[in-house]
Amino acid sequence: MSDEQVKVDVLVVGAGPAGISAALCLARAGLEVVVVERGESAGAKNMGGLLYGSVLETLIPSFHELAPVERAVARRRIVYLGPDRQMALDFGHESWGRPPYNHTWTVPSPAFDRWYASQAEEAGAGLVEGMLVDEVLVEGDGASAKAVGVRLRGDEVFRADVVLLADGAHGLAGQAARRRLGMASPKPQHFAVGVKETIALPAPVIEDRFGLEPGTGAALDFVGAPFAGLVGGGFIYTQKETVGLGFAGRIASLQKAGVEPGDVLERFKRHPEVRRLLKGGELLEYSAHMIPEGGVDSVPQLAGNGCLVLGDAAGLVNMSLYKEGTNHAMASGVLAAEAVVEAKAKGDFSRAGLSSYERRMAEGAALADLRKYRELPEILEGVPELLGDYPERLSRLLTDYFTVTAEPKAGLQRRARAAALDGLPKLKLARDLWRARKLL
Amino acid sequence: MADLFNLTLEDKLYRTRYEPDSDHPHITVQVEICRTCQDKPCVLLCPAHVYKRKPDEPAVVLVSHDNCLECGTCVQVCPTESLDWRFPDGGLGVKYRF
Repeated sequence: MSDEQVKVDVLVVGAGPAGISAALCLARAGLEVVVVERGESAGAKNMGGLLYGSVLETLIPSFHELAPVERAVARRRIVYLGPDRQMALDFGHESWGRPPYNHTWTVPSPAFDRWYASQAEEAGAGLVEGMLVDEVLVEGDGASAKAVGVRLRGDEVFRADVVLLADGAHGLAGQAARRRLGMASPKPQHFAVGVKETIALPAPVIEDRFGLEPGTGAALDFVGAPFAGLVGGGFIYTQKETVGLGFAGRIASLQKAGVEPGDVLERFKRHPEVRRLLKGGELLEYSAHMIPEGGVDSVPQLAGNGCLVLGDAAGLVNMSLYKEGTNHAMASGVLAAEAVVEAKAKGDFSRAGLSSYERRMAEGAALADLRKYRELPEILEGVPELLGDYPERLSRLLTDYFTVTAEPKAGLQRRARAAALDGLPKLKLARDLWRARKLL
Repeated sequence: MADLFNLTLEDKLYRTRYEPDSDHPHITVQVEICRTCQDKPCVLLCPAHVYKRKPDEPAVVLVSHDNCLECGTCVQVCPTESLDWRFPDGGLGVKYRF
């Protein structure tokens, strides 16, 4: 058997945005690279949403003319939902709806990943779909332990100089390999669970309800009453003829509150403001996925002997208002490929030989952003008022302010302000708002 | 057409495409270890209700792995590490379209 074992330069576990970016760059550099994907096809285990295309644009200029992107996001809305009211910051820019756009697209990930994988194949990468990596093979112990390939289900072995772990948030094979290779993170990763409904609506209805030109889309983020007591929020993304409605919340907060993720999504969907946006729609799919949201302190050691970790598997998600993951995943793929090319030139695939990945990542935008939002997880948990009580008070203030009566405005406004601040420790408010600047 | 605002979880899962690996459960519970767990957070937190307490023996969890959305939440919350979770075979399990 061992004589027949196939060996390539690089094996990539997982055909998501991170793994495919790496494979595309490695193939272009002339290396022999094979991507192994457990889904029936690339993207079959991924769920769609926003694609930030600034990295992809450098790899495939004008990719939006080729890829199955659905709408260019030209409008964003951040909404606070009170029990019986809503308050929104709604903004957009006409130029975001026309070339060169704002590098933000709504995509159905299954179709997009499949297209993206085909681009890597055209560049010369191998793609093996419908094949599960049960284990990353690690030889040796302690500091000399190194990844040497993968074992597929059914016991077939595939060897490589380098294994790229791009197997996502729930990447069991990659997690086991990292443990054996000692690729730890300063703090354990923690996750949010996201649940999503894909709801069919005719394109003109979507455009009318969300205030869009044909071909442009909206991304809406929601906080407030449906998510009370939880660290998390809702979202709506408009695709061409579907709307993605979802909720993502920290698993530990759901557990503490004793609520099911699906029930929170249902509460959100039934809020009058949300219901109006969706009515008449038909459910096409229900999906769930985890999101690593521990931030920079949960990012593991990125390079090990014969091994690099990429994308969601590395926790490269910015859970601030930007909610960026795809472009960080792609950036990690690009930088991993550069590091592997350099290691190959030296013939050194040890951690030291691959360490330029860690340096390139440390200098890159993905980790810079995660460092900037380092305190985000603990602020969201430690100051729940920021997305709860404070916007609720502001929405009450606005309600009182705009409630029409026959009395003079001065007295009305004075009472509205007093009611909004009632029972609020001012020092804590000031301190919390000062901390909140780190969320921006 | 079913009313979007009155769908049960069963209705919802019916819209999701699966090719279950029915003969090879990808989740098995080590029942005796699981039995020691009071809270059973998997029952609450699995978005697809894969885990249910056995009606006549609530200390035991029943698994309907065919409904699994493969998110991994159960593995994260299981306090006793009594879940052997190993993915459906390649190409099987949930097949997302959106």
